Amino acid sequence: MQRRVEEEGRVSMQCPTSGSTETSSLTADREAPVYSSYQKITDGLKIVSYVINDRGKYELTPDFLWQPVTVVNHQAWEEIAKKTTISRNKVAAGRVSCLHYYMTANQMDIGLVAQYTGQPRWKVCLHLVPFVFARVSADTLRKYAELYKISLDDLCKGRLLAPFTMTNNQE
Amino acid sequence: MILLDFPHTQSAHCESGVAANLLTHQGLKISEAMAFGLGGGLFFGYLPFIRINGLPLVTYRAAAGNILRQIASIPGVGMVEKKFRNRDEAMAELDKTLAASIPVGLQTGVFWLPYFPKALRFHFNAHNLVVYGKEGNEYLISDPVFPTPVRCPAEDLARARFASGPLAPKGKMYYLTRVPVELELTPHIIRGIQSVCKMMLASPFPLIGVKGIRFLAKRLGKWPQRLGRENADLHLGHVVRMQEEIGTGGGGFRFMYAAFLQESAAAMQEPRLQECAASLTAAGDTWREFAAMAVRICKKRGGPEASYPAMVACLNRCAAMEEKVFTELRQWTRQQP
Repeated sequence: MQRRVEEEGRVSMQCPTSGSTETSSLTADREAPVYSSYQKITDGLKIVSYVINDRGKYELTPDFLWQPVTVVNHQAWEEIAKKTTISRNKVAAGRVSCLHYYMTANQMDIGLVAQYTGQPRWKVCLHLVPFVFARVSADTLRKYAELYKISLDDLCKGRLLAPFTMTNNQE
Repeated sequence: MILLDFPHTQSAHCESGVAANLLTHQGLKISEAMAFGLGGGLFFGYLPFIRINGLPLVTYRAAAGNILRQIASIPGVGMVEKKFRNRDEAMAELDKTLAASIPVGLQTGVFWLPYFPKALRFHFNAHNLVVYGKEGNEYLISDPVFPTPVRCPAEDLARARFASGPLAPKGKMYYLTRVPVELELTPHIIRGIQSVCKMMLASPFPLIGVKGIRFLAKRLGKWPQRLGRENADLHLGHVVRMQEEIGTGGGGFRFMYAAFLQESAAAMQEPRLQECAASLTAAGDTWREFAAMAVRICKKRGGPEASYPAMVACLNRCAAMEEKVFTELRQWTRQQP
């Protein structure tokens, strides 16, 4: 993991600082390894961007993504992963309920969970306490299970599954 | 099964792509860049009181729905826009409209769309797409940032339409009812440019337009002290993501708008617009320079040339360049008959 990050960093260093669009598109062609990491970001999705051609006209150019985007996207996911790990440890230590883990892993905050489940924020706050969570009604649990696309059983037993966005992606 | 004949063209930005595709479907062929320009899509806003994933909203384009609304206000174009409270009602209305063989545009939250790349599934609620058919329990979707049409189960689409959080779509759907056979572009190009100039130069709020860029520059310089190094880097990464990630066409929509100016220059035989397009491209390149610098800081490889003060200077340069471009454009629009 660390290795790959290093590699991306090296490549992004080579990106022109004051480069015009033409030079950046050249860099994209030259750098084979980055290309693969861009594919990883978009899952092989080919997107289009506006790039100036040799006659100075803008063209929709397929298959071109400005490379530094990968770095910031990666940074955002690292942050989410970090928060998720902290939350996982807290759940293991019994300081918060497994709802906290699912909330964090799905990039939500209390306000968002409250909106999605149609409850006041303070209730969601209370449900983050393991003692309260163990006594939550089945109806409310069902709402949470539906929101995170997990089974009621998993939620009751407190199994920490990967968020659904990471698993059931269609090809 | 319903399957409408819909021209799917891939585009860089979702809303202008949807607008261009819907108009093309109705027989009025325009490019994505033109739709973006007619709709006055370019903007800048730094709105720290709206939080996305806990980070302040920086936007380089007009509010969601603005492009479509402005295009719908062109005389001869009719658009119906509906919002819903109830999920079933919203899906029933979608089916009914599809059955009347009208392709329907939807605003959705990308987090709930299963066909989206994993790495882009954030809670972002202003993604537009067109539904042009239904097969069994699956909708056939023309998502303008995808190269080919995609499919999405009804259940997931319903969730995406009722995503919560900032910019919640509330089941918003829209479709065109009529379009003019021929469209004289010139007055609408001028109007589109006017509205963008107004936003960029003459906004009374300091968070919007060129003033907003300067405001962001000022705030950004203080981030390392106010937020700590790590958090400041996160904020910075967020700014760059809003600027460059999918759906911007690069350079925070500046390149797309330059493409529009170029196309307008050709359509109106107006060399001044061509010059403005060139200066806007230069501004876009400066934005990219800023982003490249930011990325080096995020990777903790900032040399002396990549530091927060250097980025403040770079942002101020962007602001100055854009101020010049839009002042020139404003002058141009005032000289038009």
